[in-house]
Amino acid sequence: MSKKAIVVNKELSNDIVLQVDNLSIAFGGLKAVDNLSFNIKKNEIFGLIGPNGAGKTTVFNCITQFYRPNNGEVYFRTKRDKVVNLVGRPVYRIIRLGLVRTFQNVELIRELSVLDNLLVGAHIKYKTGFISHMLKTKKARKEELDNRKKAIEVLKYLGIDHLKDFLAAGLSYGILKRVELGRALMSDPNLLILDEPAAGLNETETEQLAETIRKIRDDFNSSILLVEHDMRLVMNICDRICAISFGKLLAIGTPKEIQSNKNVQEAYLGKDD
Amino acid sequence: MAIISKKIIKDIFFKTSNILPKPYVNYLLFGIILVILPYIVNGSTLLTIGSVIVYAIAALGLNLLLGYSGLISLGTAGFMGLSSYFASYLTKDLNFPFFASLLISVFIPVILGLLVGLVSLRIEGYYLAIATLAVAEILRRIFEKFIAFTGGYVGKTADYPNILNVFMLDREGTYIILVIFLIVIMILTHNLIQSPTGRALLTMRGSDAAAQAMGIDILKYRLIAFALATLYASIAGVLYVHFNELTYPTIWNLGLSLNILAIIIIGGIRSISGTVLGAFVVYSFSDLILKEIPFIGEIPGLSNIIFGVLIIVIILFYPQGLIQIFKNILKSIFIRKDVKASE
Ligand SMILES: Nc1ncnc2c1ncn2[C@@H]1O[C@H](COP(=O)(O)OP(=O)(O)OP(=O)(O)O)[C@@H](O)[C@H]1O
Ligand SMILES: [Mg+2]
Repeated sequence: MSKKAIVVNKELSNDIVLQVDNLSIAFGGLKAVDNLSFNIKKNEIFGLIGPNGAGKTTVFNCITQFYRPNNGEVYFRTKRDKVVNLVGRPVYRIIRLGLVRTFQNVELIRELSVLDNLLVGAHIKYKTGFISHMLKTKKARKEELDNRKKAIEVLKYLGIDHLKDFLAAGLSYGILKRVELGRALMSDPNLLILDEPAAGLNETETEQLAETIRKIRDDFNSSILLVEHDMRLVMNICDRICAISFGKLLAIGTPKEIQSNKNVQEAYLGKDD
Repeated sequence: MAIISKKIIKDIFFKTSNILPKPYVNYLLFGIILVILPYIVNGSTLLTIGSVIVYAIAALGLNLLLGYSGLISLGTAGFMGLSSYFASYLTKDLNFPFFASLLISVFIPVILGLLVGLVSLRIEGYYLAIATLAVAEILRRIFEKFIAFTGGYVGKTADYPNILNVFMLDREGTYIILVIFLIVIMILTHNLIQSPTGRALLTMRGSDAAAQAMGIDILKYRLIAFALATLYASIAGVLYVHFNELTYPTIWNLGLSLNILAIIIIGGIRSISGTVLGAFVVYSFSDLILKEIPFIGEIPGLSNIIFGVLIIVIILFYPQGLIQIFKNILKSIFIRKDVKASE
């Protein structure tokens, strides 16, 4: 493909991990994301909020290349500290650069155990191919063992290591959300994108989650971009927030600034509640 | 009685597991049982169980494809047939040694399988089923019409393999080769499905989105799945022609592909032992059991009716196949015993 267009570097100031520039995408006549720009700094917890259907998930999909934006660029500082434009890259290559996501509706594999689901998240860590896997070569065994150890550590970290051998199929939604988070962590991301991590969690679970997200930022040295409807959580943990409505930017700022922003209040009050 | 023998078997596993990892011991034991099986069951069992083994190998490939990557193929018979003709032509007409012929005979179907894998990115589900069926039908036509190479309707013969010019095998010897191939393939498949590749295939089947987000290249893994499925099918084809000493077009029809599919569904999708069990049910049930029953064994087409009913019952009540029933029984025995032991 057009490799050249992809490699074009952009100068990002050193503290910026992700820079979204003039992002737009339309479905038929509907402008789901409309000329949106924002950036995320290193070790920042960044919230993306907006009413239902505002285009939050679509923004995630445009960043991770599940959707090709009609317009705009997405610059990302990779694990190796190189700045690349994500637009136009194959979806499956994104995680290798250090950007990993979870899904609004948990996408785990029912037939796999919790542990194996986490190992799927380590897919890019394996260097051996399928022939080595069939022959179970020494190298393949070592890789598997190492990743297995790591997966168990991550499960312990998330407090669900006792469930490691359970099939994903039978577990509660709250647990599955954590498993999916664990799967994402397996790839050692430097930017973690979470789509409604608190959906379906009760109050104590949400409080735990807030703690976990902060810890992840510190322990994994990663930035976090999250979409969330639970305003308490968002206001509690985000360093900065970007509010959108009908795909358009309303405001970017600290939780305080967002709370007192007129446009944001209108967008939410205009909806109801 | 059954419980006592289970205990003995369990002990054997534990003692030998120092030498070999446990699953391998199971497979090797199963291989030994297969080798002696024809001699402890009377009747024309060698031929029957030989066929079971051949079809089990092809079904293991289809199980990888369908059970793990979620892709369907109705072309199994075509790929088997293609390799059988190559094996016959290479060993008989060109005097190639068995293993050299095997390599070439599986190579060409695998290339064809890879092409189908490429197509699978564009078409899925029923359309893929029809496309693979079309490939197999075209191949069958070629088997019929391309007489210089295939012998037309009469078919083409092959001999029992001649291994390295040292072992001139007879039917019994060839049967042992079949067993060895099956056991090795079972072990390799076992390794594969528990590896990152196996997980990648399952992830692809479960969620395209999750697979891609986790860095799994869908095209690559579809190609791997198709390559392996055709590899297994074509190995089965080569073994078929050497064991039966003959290949001809009518064997390689849709009915065979559907039987291989039935093996998986009856035996157990995503299960290696289930696949082999399914092959036994589909390919030895009527020969070894049904025909032995007086009167009932003489009703024509009865086995087809039984399979039809069996498939419906399994789809409705045992989606994991007959192997699930087996495992449940074993589990209830073992768990009861473990409770006793811990008390
Ligand atoms: N693939 C698609 N095809 C057509 N329309 C789409 C597609 N994806 C999203 N949309 C539309 O784009 C708009 C934004 O959807 P999106 O899922 O991004 O909203 P959201 O902010 O994530 O909402 P929610 O809070 O409910 O998850 C919606 O009107 C949706 O119907
Ligand atoms: Mg959404």
